[in-house]
Amino acid sequence: MITVKNIVKDFKNMDGSVNHVLRGIDYTVEQGQKIVIVGPSGGGKSTFLRCLNLLETPTSGDIIFDGENITDPKTDINKVRQRMGMVFQTFNLFNNLTVMENLTLAPVKLKIMKEEEAEEKALNLLRRVNLEEKADVYPSSLSGGQKQRIAIVRSLCMNPEVMLFDEPTSALDPEMVGEVLDVMKQLADDGMTMVVVTHEMGFAREVGTKVLFMADGIIMEENTPDKFFTEPQTPRLKEFLSKVL
Amino acid sequence: MTIGEKFTAAFIAENRWQLYLKGLGITIEIAFFAAIIGLMLGTVLALMNLSTHKNGKPAVVHYLATAYVDIIRGTPSVLQLLIMWFIVMKSSNNGVLVASLSFGLNSAAYVSEIVRAGILAVDKGQMEAGRSLGLTKGMTMRYVVLPQAMKNIIPPMGNEFITLLKETAIVGYVSLNDLTRAANLIQSRTYEAFMPLIGAAVIYFVVIKALTLALGVLERRLRRSDNR
Repeated sequence: MITVKNIVKDFKNMDGSVNHVLRGIDYTVEQGQKIVIVGPSGGGKSTFLRCLNLLETPTSGDIIFDGENITDPKTDINKVRQRMGMVFQTFNLFNNLTVMENLTLAPVKLKIMKEEEAEEKALNLLRRVNLEEKADVYPSSLSGGQKQRIAIVRSLCMNPEVMLFDEPTSALDPEMVGEVLDVMKQLADDGMTMVVVTHEMGFAREVGTKVLFMADGIIMEENTPDKFFTEPQTPRLKEFLSKVL
Repeated sequence: MTIGEKFTAAFIAENRWQLYLKGLGITIEIAFFAAIIGLMLGTVLALMNLSTHKNGKPAVVHYLATAYVDIIRGTPSVLQLLIMWFIVMKSSNNGVLVASLSFGLNSAAYVSEIVRAGILAVDKGQMEAGRSLGLTKGMTMRYVVLPQAMKNIIPPMGNEFITLLKETAIVGYVSLNDLTRAANLIQSRTYEAFMPLIGAAVIYFVVIKALTLALGVLERRLRRSDNR
Protein backbone atom coordinates (compact mmCIF):
# COMPACT_ATOMS: atom_id res chain seq x y z
CA MET A 1 0.00 0.00 0.00
CA ILE A 2 2.82 2.39 0.92
CA THR A 3 6.27 1.60 -0.35
CA VAL A 4 9.20 3.72 0.74
CA LYS A 5 12.36 3.53 -1.32
CA ASN A 6 15.68 4.78 -0.02
CA ILE A 7 14.29 7.84 1.78
CA VAL A 8 16.92 10.34 2.90
CA LYS A 9 16.18 13.48 4.89
CA ASP A 10 18.84 16.03 5.71
CA PHE A 11 18.25 19.15 7.76
CA LYS A 12 20.60 22.08 7.43
CA ASN A 13 21.62 23.53 10.78
CA MET A 14 22.02 27.24 11.42
CA ASP A 15 25.81 26.93 11.26
CA GLY A 16 25.64 25.31 7.84
CA SER A 17 26.39 21.78 9.00
CA VAL A 18 24.02 19.04 7.88
CA ASN A 19 21.99 16.81 10.15
CA HIS A 20 21.25 13.41 8.57
CA VAL A 21 17.90 12.55 10.13
CA LEU A 22 16.95 9.72 7.77
CA ARG A 23 19.75 7.79 6.11
CA GLY A 24 18.09 5.69 3.47
CA ILE A 25 14.95 3.88 4.53
CA ASP A 26 13.23 1.11 2.59
CA TYR A 27 9.96 -0.29 3.79
CA THR A 28 6.57 -1.47 2.62
CA VAL A 29 3.36 -1.16 4.56
CA GLU A 30 0.71 -3.62 3.40
CA GLN A 31 -3.02 -3.08 3.46
CA GLY A 32 -4.46 -3.75 6.92
CA GLN A 33 -1.11 -3.87 8.71
CA LYS A 34 -0.52 -2.01 11.95
CA ILE A 35 3.08 -0.88 11.92
CA VAL A 36 4.33 0.42 15.25
CA ILE A 37 7.55 2.42 15.30
CA VAL A 38 9.51 2.80 18.50
CA GLY A 39 12.97 4.10 19.27
CA PRO A 40 14.96 6.78 21.06
CA SER A 41 14.13 10.43 20.46
CA GLY A 42 16.09 11.97 17.63
CA GLY A 43 16.16 8.62 15.87
CA GLY A 44 14.01 9.83 12.98
CA LYS A 45 10.66 8.20 13.84
CA SER A 46 8.53 11.32 13.54
CA THR A 47 10.39 12.60 10.52
CA PHE A 48 9.85 9.27 8.78
CA LEU A 49 6.13 9.37 9.57
CA ARG A 50 5.84 12.98 8.42
CA CYS A 51 7.55 12.07 5.15
CA LEU A 52 4.78 9.56 4.39
CA ASN A 53 2.26 12.35 3.75
CA LEU A 54 4.93 14.85 2.72
CA LEU A 55 4.55 17.16 5.70
CA GLU A 56 8.31 16.81 5.41
CA THR A 57 9.71 16.61 1.91
CA PRO A 58 12.40 13.93 1.71
CA THR A 59 15.78 15.11 0.44
CA SER A 60 15.83 12.08 -1.86
CA GLY A 61 14.03 8.80 -2.38
CA ASP A 62 10.56 7.75 -3.48
CA ILE A 63 7.29 7.13 -1.68
CA ILE A 64 4.73 5.10 -3.59
CA PHE A 65 1.16 5.13 -2.31
CA ASP A 66 -1.35 2.90 -4.10
CA GLY A 67 0.92 2.76 -7.14
CA GLU A 68 1.39 6.51 -7.33
CA ASN A 69 4.77 8.12 -6.72
CA ILE A 70 3.79 10.92 -4.36
CA THR A 71 7.28 12.44 -4.23
CA ASP A 72 6.86 13.31 -7.90
CA PRO A 73 6.30 17.11 -7.97
CA LYS A 74 3.47 16.58 -10.48
CA THR A 75 1.42 14.62 -7.95
CA ASP A 76 -1.41 16.60 -6.37
CA ILE A 77 -0.40 16.06 -2.76
CA ASN A 78 -3.68 17.49 -1.46
CA LYS A 79 -5.56 14.66 -3.16
CA VAL A 80 -3.16 12.12 -1.67
CA ARG A 81 -3.50 13.56 1.83
CA GLN A 82 -7.28 13.25 1.63
CA ARG A 83 -6.74 9.49 1.74
CA MET A 84 -4.15 9.54 4.54
CA GLY A 85 -5.29 10.60 8.00
CA MET A 86 -2.82 12.02 10.47
CA VAL A 87 -3.01 12.40 14.23
CA PHE A 88 -0.54 14.70 15.95
CA GLN A 89 1.09 14.65 19.36
CA THR A 90 -0.35 18.11 20.10
CA PHE A 91 -3.85 17.30 18.72
CA ASN A 92 -3.96 20.47 16.57
CA LEU A 93 -7.71 20.83 16.63
CA PHE A 94 -8.74 24.07 14.93
CA ASN A 95 -9.13 26.41 17.90
CA ASN A 96 -11.43 28.87 16.16
CA LEU A 97 -14.00 26.22 15.24
CA THR A 98 -16.42 24.09 17.24
CA VAL A 99 -15.91 20.35 17.40
CA MET A 100 -18.53 19.81 14.70
CA GLU A 101 -16.94 22.45 12.46
CA ASN A 102 -13.55 20.83 13.03
CA LEU A 103 -14.94 17.53 11.79
CA THR A 104 -16.84 18.81 8.77
CA LEU A 105 -14.51 21.56 7.50
CA ALA A 106 -12.37 19.42 5.23
CA PRO A 107 -15.04 17.08 3.81
CA VAL A 108 -17.38 20.00 3.07
CA LYS A 109 -14.87 22.53 1.75
CA LEU A 110 -13.23 19.89 -0.42
CA LYS A 111 -16.70 19.02 -1.73
CA ILE A 112 -16.41 15.39 -0.75
CA MET A 113 -19.65 15.47 1.21
CA LYS A 114 -22.64 17.74 1.56
CA GLU A 115 -22.90 19.54 4.86
CA GLU A 116 -25.76 17.43 6.26
CA GLU A 117 -24.04 14.27 5.13
CA ALA A 118 -20.77 15.28 6.78
CA GLU A 119 -22.55 16.25 10.00
CA GLU A 120 -24.34 12.93 10.13
CA LYS A 121 -21.10 11.05 9.63
CA ALA A 122 -19.37 13.22 12.23
CA LEU A 123 -22.13 12.57 14.76
CA ASN A 124 -21.94 8.82 14.17
CA LEU A 125 -18.20 8.84 14.72
CA LEU A 126 -18.51 11.09 17.79
CA ARG A 127 -20.97 8.59 19.21
CA ARG A 128 -18.42 5.83 18.73
CA VAL A 129 -15.91 7.70 20.91
CA ASN A 130 -18.66 8.76 23.35
CA LEU A 131 -18.27 12.47 22.69
CA GLU A 132 -21.46 13.35 20.85
CA GLU A 133 -22.45 15.83 23.56
CA LYS A 134 -19.31 17.83 22.75
CA ALA A 135 -20.31 18.58 19.15
CA ASP A 136 -21.00 22.25 19.73
CA VAL A 137 -18.21 23.22 22.11
CA TYR A 138 -14.86 24.77 21.27
CA PRO A 139 -11.66 22.74 21.68
CA SER A 140 -10.44 24.95 24.55
CA SER A 141 -13.06 23.43 26.85
CA LEU A 142 -11.98 19.82 26.22
CA SER A 143 -9.49 17.66 28.10
CA GLY A 144 -6.40 16.35 26.29
CA GLY A 145 -7.86 12.89 25.91
CA GLN A 146 -11.09 14.28 24.48
CA LYS A 147 -9.16 16.49 22.08
CA GLN A 148 -7.13 13.58 20.79
CA ARG A 149 -10.16 11.35 20.33
CA ILE A 150 -11.80 14.14 18.37
CA ALA A 151 -8.63 14.64 16.33
CA ILE A 152 -8.82 10.95 15.40
CA VAL A 153 -12.48 11.35 14.45
CA ARG A 154 -11.60 14.41 12.37
CA SER A 155 -9.24 12.30 10.27
CA LEU A 156 -11.77 9.48 10.01
CA CYS A 157 -14.38 11.87 8.60
CA MET A 158 -12.33 11.91 5.41
CA ASN A 159 -12.63 8.09 5.06
CA PRO A 160 -8.86 7.60 4.89
CA GLU A 161 -7.25 4.40 3.66
CA VAL A 162 -4.42 4.66 6.15
CA MET A 163 -3.94 6.47 9.45
CA LEU A 164 -0.64 7.93 10.63
CA PHE A 165 -0.19 8.52 14.36
CA ASP A 166 2.66 10.74 15.54
CA GLU A 167 3.10 10.00 19.27
CA PRO A 168 -0.64 10.41 19.89
CA THR A 169 -0.45 9.88 23.66
CA SER A 170 2.81 11.65 24.52
CA ALA A 171 1.19 14.98 25.41
CA LEU A 172 -1.52 13.43 27.56
CA ASP A 173 -1.87 13.18 31.32
CA PRO A 174 -1.37 9.52 32.28
CA GLU A 175 -4.99 8.90 33.18
CA MET A 176 -6.10 9.92 29.67
CA VAL A 177 -3.74 7.68 27.72
CA GLY A 178 -6.04 4.69 28.00
CA GLU A 179 -9.09 6.30 26.43
CA VAL A 180 -7.09 7.30 23.35
CA LEU A 181 -5.40 3.91 23.00
CA ASP A 182 -8.83 2.25 23.26
CA VAL A 183 -10.06 4.25 20.27
CA MET A 184 -6.94 3.28 18.35
CA LYS A 185 -7.41 -0.39 19.20
CA GLN A 186 -11.01 -0.20 18.04
CA LEU A 187 -9.78 1.28 14.78
CA ALA A 188 -7.21 -1.49 14.42
CA ASP A 189 -9.89 -4.12 15.00
CA ASP A 190 -11.95 -2.54 12.23
CA GLY A 191 -9.10 -3.32 9.86
CA MET A 192 -7.64 0.15 9.38
CA THR A 193 -4.10 0.29 8.02
CA MET A 194 -2.09 2.14 10.66
CA VAL A 195 1.42 3.47 11.11
CA VAL A 196 1.97 4.47 14.72
CA VAL A 197 4.95 6.21 16.29
CA THR A 198 4.64 5.70 20.04
CA HIS A 199 6.33 5.09 23.36
CA GLU A 200 3.48 2.83 24.50
CA MET A 201 5.17 -0.57 24.44
CA GLY A 202 2.00 -2.29 25.64
CA PHE A 203 0.14 -0.97 22.61
CA ALA A 204 2.96 -2.06 20.30
CA ARG A 205 2.87 -5.57 21.69
CA GLU A 206 -0.91 -5.88 21.64
CA VAL A 207 -1.87 -4.20 18.38
CA GLY A 208 1.21 -4.20 16.17
CA THR A 209 1.51 -6.45 13.14
CA LYS A 210 5.16 -5.50 12.99
CA VAL A 211 7.25 -3.41 15.35
CA LEU A 212 10.09 -1.33 13.95
CA PHE A 213 13.01 -0.01 15.94
CA MET A 214 14.33 3.22 14.50
CA ALA A 215 17.57 4.78 15.64
CA ASP A 216 20.25 6.90 13.99
CA GLY A 217 18.04 7.51 10.96
CA ILE A 218 17.60 3.87 9.92
CA ILE A 219 15.25 0.98 10.67
CA MET A 220 17.63 -0.95 12.88
CA GLU A 221 15.37 -3.85 13.60
CA GLU A 222 11.99 -5.17 12.50
CA ASN A 223 10.10 -8.04 14.00
CA THR A 224 6.76 -9.42 15.10
CA PRO A 225 5.69 -7.97 18.44
CA ASP A 226 6.43 -11.19 20.36
CA LYS A 227 9.95 -11.61 19.09
CA PHE A 228 10.67 -7.90 19.08
CA PHE A 229 10.38 -7.73 22.84
CA THR A 230 11.60 -11.20 23.78
CA GLU A 231 14.42 -11.74 21.30
CA PRO A 232 15.97 -8.39 20.44
CA GLN A 233 18.89 -8.88 18.03
CA THR A 234 20.95 -5.71 18.16
CA PRO A 235 22.70 -4.37 21.28
CA ARG A 236 21.06 -1.02 20.57
CA LEU A 237 17.55 -2.47 20.88
CA LYS A 238 18.50 -4.52 23.95
CA GLU A 239 19.72 -1.34 25.60
CA PHE A 240 16.60 0.55 24.55
CA LEU A 241 14.25 -2.13 25.83
CA SER A 242 16.10 -2.38 29.13
CA LYS A 243 15.46 1.31 29.64
CA VAL A 244 11.79 1.45 28.68
CA LEU A 245 10.40 -1.85 29.94
CA MET B 1 -6.93 89.39 27.76
CA THR B 2 -8.80 87.38 30.33
CA ILE B 3 -9.20 83.66 29.87
CA GLY B 4 -12.78 84.23 28.80
CA GLU B 5 -11.72 86.69 26.12
CA LYS B 6 -9.00 84.33 24.90
CA PHE B 7 -11.57 81.55 24.68
CA THR B 8 -13.97 83.74 22.76
CA ALA B 9 -11.22 84.83 20.35
CA ALA B 10 -10.10 81.26 19.75
CA PHE B 11 -13.46 79.54 19.39
CA ILE B 12 -16.46 81.88 19.21
CA ALA B 13 -15.47 84.98 17.25
CA GLU B 14 -16.12 84.83 13.52
CA ASN B 15 -17.57 81.34 14.07
CA ARG B 16 -14.03 79.98 14.39
CA TRP B 17 -15.28 76.75 15.98
CA GLN B 18 -16.40 75.79 12.49
CA LEU B 19 -12.77 75.82 11.35
CA TYR B 20 -11.82 73.23 13.96
CA LEU B 21 -14.80 71.14 13.01
CA LYS B 22 -14.00 71.29 9.28
CA GLY B 23 -10.38 70.54 10.11
CA LEU B 24 -11.38 67.54 12.19
CA GLY B 25 -13.55 66.39 9.29
CA ILE B 26 -10.57 66.46 6.95
CA THR B 27 -8.33 64.74 9.49
CA ILE B 28 -10.83 61.92 9.97
CA GLU B 29 -11.55 61.63 6.26
CA ILE B 30 -7.87 61.20 5.39
CA ALA B 31 -7.23 58.80 8.27
CA PHE B 32 -10.31 56.74 7.41
CA PHE B 33 -9.47 56.22 3.74
CA ALA B 34 -5.79 55.71 4.54
CA ALA B 35 -6.71 53.05 7.10
CA ILE B 36 -8.81 51.18 4.52
CA ILE B 37 -6.05 51.33 1.93
CA GLY B 38 -3.50 50.34 4.56
CA LEU B 39 -5.57 47.42 5.80
CA MET B 40 -6.20 45.96 2.36
CA LEU B 41 -2.77 46.53 0.87
CA GLY B 42 -1.09 45.59 4.14
CA THR B 43 -2.85 42.20 4.28
CA VAL B 44 -1.88 41.50 0.69
CA LEU B 45 1.73 42.48 1.43
CA ALA B 46 1.78 40.20 4.50
CA LEU B 47 0.53 37.22 2.46
CA MET B 48 3.10 38.05 -0.24
CA ASN B 49 5.79 38.21 2.39
CA LEU B 50 4.85 34.78 3.76
CA SER B 51 4.45 33.00 0.44
CA THR B 52 6.87 30.23 -0.36
CA HIS B 53 7.54 27.80 -3.15
CA LYS B 54 6.71 24.13 -2.65
CA ASN B 55 10.26 23.49 -1.44
CA GLY B 56 9.90 26.10 1.28
CA LYS B 57 12.08 28.77 -0.35
CA PRO B 58 10.63 32.32 -0.40
CA ALA B 59 8.65 33.22 -3.53
CA VAL B 60 9.54 36.21 -5.74
CA VAL B 61 6.61 38.17 -4.31
CA HIS B 62 8.20 37.81 -0.87
CA TYR B 63 11.13 39.93 -2.02
CA LEU B 64 8.80 42.51 -3.60
CA ALA B 65 6.91 42.84 -0.33
CA THR B 66 10.01 43.14 1.84
CA ALA B 67 11.49 45.72 -0.54
CA TYR B 68 8.29 47.75 -0.33
CA VAL B 69 8.24 47.63 3.46
CA ASP B 70 11.92 48.57 3.61
CA ILE B 71 11.50 51.59 1.37
CA ILE B 72 8.40 52.92 3.11
CA ARG B 73 9.83 52.44 6.58
CA GLY B 74 13.15 53.89 5.52
CA THR B 75 11.83 57.30 4.48
CA PRO B 76 9.96 59.99 6.48
CA SER B 77 6.23 60.12 5.90
CA VAL B 78 6.34 63.90 5.39
CA LEU B 79 8.70 63.35 2.51
CA GLN B 80 6.47 60.62 1.08
CA LEU B 81 3.56 63.05 1.24
CA LEU B 82 5.55 65.77 -0.52
CA ILE B 83 6.72 63.34 -3.19
CA MET B 84 3.16 62.19 -3.75
CA TRP B 85 1.84 65.78 -3.95
CA PHE B 86 4.59 67.46 -5.98
CA ILE B 87 5.81 64.58 -8.17
CA VAL B 88 3.69 61.44 -8.42
CA MET B 89 0.24 63.03 -8.43
CA LYS B 90 1.27 66.49 -9.56
CA SER B 91 -1.73 66.79 -11.88
CA SER B 92 -4.26 66.13 -9.12
CA ASN B 93 -5.58 69.00 -7.06
CA ASN B 94 -7.62 66.76 -4.79
CA GLY B 95 -5.50 67.12 -1.65
CA VAL B 96 -7.56 64.72 0.45
CA LEU B 97 -7.20 62.00 -2.19
CA VAL B 98 -3.44 62.49 -2.48
CA ALA B 99 -2.98 62.54 1.28
CA SER B 100 -5.20 59.47 1.81
CA LEU B 101 -3.22 57.58 -0.78
CA SER B 102 0.11 58.67 0.64
CA PHE B 103 -0.80 57.73 4.22
CA GLY B 104 -2.49 54.54 3.05
CA LEU B 105 0.61 53.39 1.19
CA ASN B 106 2.68 54.29 4.23
CA SER B 107 0.38 52.54 6.70
CA ALA B 108 0.26 49.40 4.54
CA ALA B 109 3.93 48.76 5.27
CA TYR B 110 3.34 48.80 9.02
CA VAL B 111 0.05 46.90 8.76
CA SER B 112 1.76 44.17 6.75
CA GLU B 113 4.27 43.64 9.56
CA ILE B 114 1.44 43.47 12.10
CA VAL B 115 -0.53 40.96 10.02
CA ARG B 116 2.59 38.91 9.32
CA ALA B 117 3.47 38.72 13.01
CA GLY B 118 -0.16 37.84 13.82
CA ILE B 119 -0.14 34.95 11.34
CA LEU B 120 3.25 33.66 12.51
CA ALA B 121 2.02 33.68 16.11
CA VAL B 122 -0.62 31.06 15.26
CA ASP B 123 0.72 27.61 16.16
CA LYS B 124 2.09 25.97 13.03
CA GLY B 125 0.35 22.74 13.97
CA GLN B 126 -2.88 24.42 12.84
CA MET B 127 -1.57 24.74 9.28
CA GLU B 128 -0.16 21.20 9.39
CA ALA B 129 -3.45 19.77 10.58
CA GLY B 130 -5.30 21.53 7.75
CA ARG B 131 -2.81 20.33 5.17
CA SER B 132 -2.84 16.78 6.53
CA LEU B 133 -6.58 16.62 5.82
CA GLY B 134 -5.96 17.58 2.19
CA LEU B 135 -7.00 21.22 2.49
CA THR B 136 -4.91 23.59 0.40
CA LYS B 137 -2.65 26.17 1.98
CA GLY B 138 -5.05 28.92 0.91
CA MET B 139 -8.08 27.19 2.41
CA THR B 140 -6.33 26.49 5.71
CA MET B 141 -5.16 30.09 5.80
CA ARG B 142 -8.68 31.39 5.20
CA TYR B 143 -10.72 29.11 7.44
CA VAL B 144 -8.27 28.35 10.23
CA VAL B 145 -5.16 30.52 10.48
CA LEU B 146 -6.42 34.00 9.59
CA PRO B 147 -9.43 33.89 11.96
CA GLN B 148 -7.04 33.00 14.79
CA ALA B 149 -4.49 35.59 13.68
CA MET B 150 -7.19 38.27 13.98
CA LYS B 151 -7.02 38.06 17.76
CA ASN B 152 -3.29 38.77 17.68
CA ILE B 153 -3.70 41.48 15.11
CA ILE B 154 -6.40 43.69 16.66
CA PRO B 155 -4.41 45.30 19.52
CA PRO B 156 -1.35 46.42 17.48
CA MET B 157 -3.65 47.37 14.63
CA GLY B 158 -5.49 49.76 16.93
CA ASN B 159 -2.15 51.24 17.79
CA GLU B 160 -1.35 51.67 14.11
CA PHE B 161 -4.64 53.45 13.40
CA ILE B 162 -4.09 55.81 16.30
CA THR B 163 -0.62 56.64 15.03
CA LEU B 164 -2.05 57.13 11.58
CA LEU B 165 -4.73 59.52 12.79
CA LYS B 166 -2.17 61.68 14.55
CA GLU B 167 0.32 61.51 11.72
CA THR B 168 -2.16 63.21 9.40
CA ALA B 169 -1.28 66.41 11.30
CA ILE B 170 1.47 66.94 8.71
CA VAL B 171 -0.91 67.47 5.80
CA GLY B 172 -0.54 71.21 6.38
CA TYR B 173 2.64 70.76 4.32
CA VAL B 174 0.51 70.35 1.22
CA SER B 175 -1.94 73.12 2.17
CA LEU B 176 -4.72 70.96 3.53
CA ASN B 177 -6.66 72.56 6.35
CA ASP B 178 -6.85 69.69 8.78
CA LEU B 179 -7.39 70.10 12.52
CA THR B 180 -3.78 70.99 13.34
CA ARG B 181 -3.54 73.51 10.53
CA ALA B 182 -6.86 75.07 11.54
CA ALA B 183 -5.55 75.63 15.07
CA ASN B 184 -2.33 76.99 13.65
CA LEU B 185 -4.21 79.44 11.38
CA ILE B 186 -6.36 80.69 14.21
CA GLN B 187 -3.26 81.19 16.32
CA SER B 188 -1.79 83.40 13.62
CA ARG B 189 -5.01 85.45 13.48
CA THR B 190 -5.43 85.98 17.23
CA TYR B 191 -1.72 86.14 18.17
CA GLU B 192 -2.59 83.77 20.97
CA ALA B 193 -1.27 80.21 21.02
CA PHE B 194 -2.67 78.58 24.14
CA MET B 195 -6.37 78.22 23.39
CA PRO B 196 -6.25 77.00 19.77
CA LEU B 197 -3.35 74.59 20.25
CA ILE B 198 -4.57 73.10 23.52
CA GLY B 199 -8.08 73.05 22.07
CA ALA B 200 -6.90 71.02 19.07
CA ALA B 201 -4.97 68.69 21.37
CA VAL B 202 -8.10 68.05 23.44
CA ILE B 203 -10.11 67.27 20.29
CA TYR B 204 -7.49 64.75 19.07
CA PHE B 205 -7.44 63.19 22.52
CA VAL B 206 -11.20 62.76 22.68
CA VAL B 207 -11.39 61.20 19.22
CA ILE B 208 -8.58 58.78 19.95
CA LYS B 209 -9.99 57.87 23.33
CA ALA B 210 -13.28 56.99 21.63
CA LEU B 211 -11.39 54.88 19.08
CA THR B 212 -9.51 53.07 21.85
CA LEU B 213 -12.75 52.23 23.65
CA ALA B 214 -14.31 50.90 20.45
CA LEU B 215 -11.29 48.70 19.77
CA GLY B 216 -11.44 47.38 23.31
CA VAL B 217 -15.02 46.23 22.75
CA LEU B 218 -14.03 44.51 19.50
CA GLU B 219 -11.08 42.78 21.13
CA ARG B 220 -13.17 41.42 23.99
CA ARG B 221 -15.73 40.14 21.54
CA LEU B 222 -13.08 38.29 19.54
CA ARG B 223 -11.62 36.71 22.67
CA ARG B 224 -14.92 35.13 23.62
CA SER B 225 -14.29 31.86 21.74
CA ASP B 226 -11.29 31.31 24.06
CA ASN B 227 -13.34 30.58 27.14
CA ARG B 228 -16.27 28.57 26.01
